[in-house]
Amino acid sequence: MIKISKLSKNYGKEKIVENISLTIKKGAVFGFLGPNGAGKTTTIKMLVGLSSPTHGSIKINNKNPKDQSTRERIGFMPEDPYFYDHLTGLELLQFSADLFSEPISNIEDILEDIGLLDAKNKMINTYSKGMKQRLGIAQSLVNDPDYIFLDEPLDGLDPIGRAEIKKIILKLKKQKKTIFFNSHILADVDEICDEIGIIDNGKLIYSGGIKKFRGDKTLEDKFVEVISRNNS
Amino acid sequence: MNNIVTIAKNTFRETIRDRILYVILAFAILFILSTIFFGSISLGEDIKIIKDFGLAGIYLFSLIITIFLGGSLIYKEIEKRTLYILLSKPVSSMQVVVGKFLGLFVSILLTIVVMTGIYLVVVFAKGGGFDSIALLAILMQLFEIAVFISLMILFSTFATPLASTIYAVLVLYIGHSLALIIKFVNKNPSNFRPVAVVIYYLLPNLEKFNIRNLVVHDVSISGLSILYAFLYATLYSAILLVLATWSLKKQDL
Repeated sequence: MIKISKLSKNYGKEKIVENISLTIKKGAVFGFLGPNGAGKTTTIKMLVGLSSPTHGSIKINNKNPKDQSTRERIGFMPEDPYFYDHLTGLELLQFSADLFSEPISNIEDILEDIGLLDAKNKMINTYSKGMKQRLGIAQSLVNDPDYIFLDEPLDGLDPIGRAEIKKIILKLKKQKKTIFFNSHILADVDEICDEIGIIDNGKLIYSGGIKKFRGDKTLEDKFVEVISRNNS
Repeated sequence: MNNIVTIAKNTFRETIRDRILYVILAFAILFILSTIFFGSISLGEDIKIIKDFGLAGIYLFSLIITIFLGGSLIYKEIEKRTLYILLSKPVSSMQVVVGKFLGLFVSILLTIVVMTGIYLVVVFAKGGGFDSIALLAILMQLFEIAVFISLMILFSTFATPLASTIYAVLVLYIGHSLALIIKFVNKNPSNFRPVAVVIYYLLPNLEKFNIRNLVVHDVSISGLSILYAFLYATLYSAILLVLATWSLKKQDL
């Protein structure tokens, strides 16, 4: 379970995230939505221990995300991932795998699942944006994590790429992984997620079921309506 | 320990695949080979000239490589957000800093070995025999390079590569002038003396590692002075790496 209590983050006097409280059950796929600059990436960075909250707390399986033992069980894909230019895809995954205490041997299976097996020995600086996006997801899965945090995993992918990544997320869902992800592509969020949270100007304005949120409307229409109302 | 070695191996691999390293190394080799020309116009002191310029060349180019590669080592990771991928795994800031240091140190050691090989061949070919004493000078240079790598890593946690380069050049200049500065203020007491004393103890005394002149003029070097230099380099590098770890931890990524 992921438990977020009264989470706030300030940069100087500016409040980026304000008083967010959420509980995400184990095995759920949670979509964290919001307009640009709402605080989604700041929140996810605190969840994976890259940034410290100004106030509040985060517990992943009752432990702090900064604990090394917690990090053994999480995977993170940053938004628009960059990698080491002079490594191949396979080398990057092997490097990622070597940072965990448990030996990991199924690197090529992960590359195959993600559609990069043919490009495994090519330098990352020759990869397209979509390939880098897939590699980002691959490195987040290398330790078979229980908790997976994805920041815009579908960004920059063509429809075929998006379909493949959605298939992977649904497969992880069947494996009872807990997935927390940010996305702008609401049609895909509707397909994949059990629950959503909506953040605007740093504040959580909704959390709960998707159907309960959107009613008879599409998720996108309802989202736009709610954000516009919140800003008027 | 495993993570430090993993990060060191990755840093080494990234470094030796960087083309800039080979460009600088090529210039270094050309320079060392060109010492044959300098020697030939030196009126009978050709071996001394070759040794002087050769050792200076190895020193200069290893510094250039250190500044070029070290100044962006962690800065690049922060800018490109590859650090997000590293630090979201069970890896500490200390492991990143020490791993980066070791990886870069081994890369530069390799380039120094190549340059030293060329130097020894040149000296041998010009009739200077196997210049084993020069290896001591190069060992001392390695100690200095270790301090410099630590310094560049510290700078790269908070400064851009350009700013890191400027700071590095300043430290290099002052570090080699510290003994002169302290001699001057002792001879000419003034209000500046306490400041000079603080600077003397704070900044790395890089002249401690410079025994090139002694080597070129066949002056013997004591084992104790090499040991002191090693201990000084180890302690100073350790302090700089602790500071770099603290600086990296403070970063709100």
